[in-house]
Amino acid sequence: MEQANTLCHDGKSKGGVLAYLERLETGVNRSGKQREELQSAQAVGNALATKIRKLRCLRDKLRAEVKQRQARVKASTTSVDPDQTVEISEQEVLERKQKNVKAILQAYRFTGLSGKLTSRGVCVCINTAFEGNLLDSYFVDLVIKKPLQIYHHSVPVFIPLEDIAAKYLQTDIQHFLFSLCEYLNAYSGRKYQADQLQSDFAAFLAGPLQRNSLCNLLSFTYKVDPRGQAFPFCARLLYKDLTVTLPTDVTVTYQGTEVLSTSWEEQRAAHEILFCTKPLHQVFASFAKKGETLDMSLFS
Amino acid sequence: MDETIAEFIKRTILKIPMTEMTTILKAWDFLSENQLQTVNFRQRKESVVQHLVELCEENNASLNDAALLDIIYTQLHRHRKIWDVFQMSKGPGEDVDLFDMKQFKSSFKKVLQRALKNVTVSFRDAEENAVWIRIAWGTQYTKPNQYRPTYVVYYSQTPYAFTSLSTLKSNIPLLGQALTIASKHHEIVKMDLRSRYLDSLKAIVFKQYNQNFETHNSTTPLQERSLGLHVNMDSRIIHENAMEKERVQRVTQETFGDHPQPQLEFAQYKLETKFRNGSILAEREEPLRCLIKFSSPHLLEALKSLAPAALSRIPKLFCSSGSCSQGTHAPKSWQKDLYHLYFPLLPDSPRC
Repeated sequence: MEQANTLCHDGKSKGGVLAYLERLETGVNRSGKQREELQSAQAVGNALATKIRKLRCLRDKLRAEVKQRQARVKASTTSVDPDQTVEISEQEVLERKQKNVKAILQAYRFTGLSGKLTSRGVCVCINTAFEGNLLDSYFVDLVIKKPLQIYHHSVPVFIPLEDIAAKYLQTDIQHFLFSLCEYLNAYSGRKYQADQLQSDFAAFLAGPLQRNSLCNLLSFTYKVDPRGQAFPFCARLLYKDLTVTLPTDVTVTYQGTEVLSTSWEEQRAAHEILFCTKPLHQVFASFAKKGETLDMSLFS
Repeated sequence: MDETIAEFIKRTILKIPMTEMTTILKAWDFLSENQLQTVNFRQRKESVVQHLVELCEENNASLNDAALLDIIYTQLHRHRKIWDVFQMSKGPGEDVDLFDMKQFKSSFKKVLQRALKNVTVSFRDAEENAVWIRIAWGTQYTKPNQYRPTYVVYYSQTPYAFTSLSTLKSNIPLLGQALTIASKHHEIVKMDLRSRYLDSLKAIVFKQYNQNFETHNSTTPLQERSLGLHVNMDSRIIHENAMEKERVQRVTQETFGDHPQPQLEFAQYKLETKFRNGSILAEREEPLRCLIKFSSPHLLEALKSLAPAALSRIPKLFCSSGSCSQGTHAPKSWQKDLYHLYFPLLPDSPRC
């Protein structure tokens, strides 16, 4: 604008026409740009409009389809008696519930102590386990009357059932059942360990495994290396407490006339501790593993 | 090898039927494979026996080896003997029994040998926790008689010993003493239980019969288990007393269980009874005492089949060795003389 003013005041044509033409040019350029912008905006707008139209079309189609399907479903359900559907589903629900409860009752045995009401009282089932292995089951059939009686049972004769019953059956039945569970689980565990030793690790034994009914005294001769490089050790495991699965006393001896070298003496002492702290079959499994690593070292 | 031992081995092998010969000899493990292969088992038995005795001579068989052969034969032919059951008891509050089989054997032998110089004691381990003991008895002046031995089967840490006696009564207390001392018990009593079937006695005494317990896991419902006499249930015939029949079946099933019964051949029990009204004897003050005897090749199965076989008034009573010792009912003094059995009795009948 200043230019325009200077033009008017000076009256000279120095910047007059050219400046005016320049101005006109920039104006045209500006409006051209504006027109371009407007055009592009319009194009975008048109594109969006078509998109909107397309989407609207799709939406209408889907709506129509949904309506069709709903109509079909309604048509099929209205053909069935509405009352019956309600009944069937109730019955189904009850059956399913009953199945569920039955399954839970059956699965209860995995807790180790379960029972079933009988006409006389209750039949208690003790399922023993050791290290996650389900072992034998034992039953005690109780008659509920005063005094509480054991009608019959499948507990082995060497488990002191009468003693436990004399102590707790009349006064504290929970204590009775838990105590019996303890004894039976411990017995099963000890038996399992002895059986495992005889079956899986027979190669390590240099003679038969001496055991008794309660599996609370085990005596055997073994070699750490079954292929004969090792000295034979005699182990004697005593379980003075009938409710435990690890021995209370362990003696490992060497039945020979030679004096043991210090390394073998250390091994002997170490084995005594091993038998006290780990289950029997695991001790022998560790011997087997050591043997394997020794083998591997031979190859390397 | 001693003449007497040779004779003993010969007589023992002669008892063995040819079909079992190789099994028993292998179990004996005294003659080697090579030696056994030299024997022609198709000959006449006398020749086979002769050859075997010669082989035993070669291996210098001892009395103990011969005794072992006798034990193996008896183990296989256990039903040829009649077995009694002895029950031992401990004092209250004893320490945990750490049963050591070696200690038991040496203690048993010592007791017998200290009392009787002339006695042969041999052992053979069986199953996991049992031992068969063979005892040949002599006297102060005579050698042990190998042909009338006593057998004892003992399961460790149990109070029961099964014996086949066949010896002088005078030796029985000594046997009892040896058993109690070796197994660390205090007293021993002969039970009123006797049978040819050692396994049945075992089942009764260790209560391994009727392992029928109700659980949620039982797959066959009780009604389906029939006793084999539900024949010809024609729907057109309405069975009278169907309820009663069902009750009888249920009681029988509860009492006897599903599995085969232990095999008992005879049972007897003393009964005190009063006659019912209507006869002269009913007025008698004192009850009548009687002795009732049952005998059968398989007594318990026979009783079990009585119930559904229309003897529907067979009622229920049972005494078993287990329940008496558990104190489920206080045993009367002469109840201890009962042979242990279970069978149904009339509810309004004489009390046992």
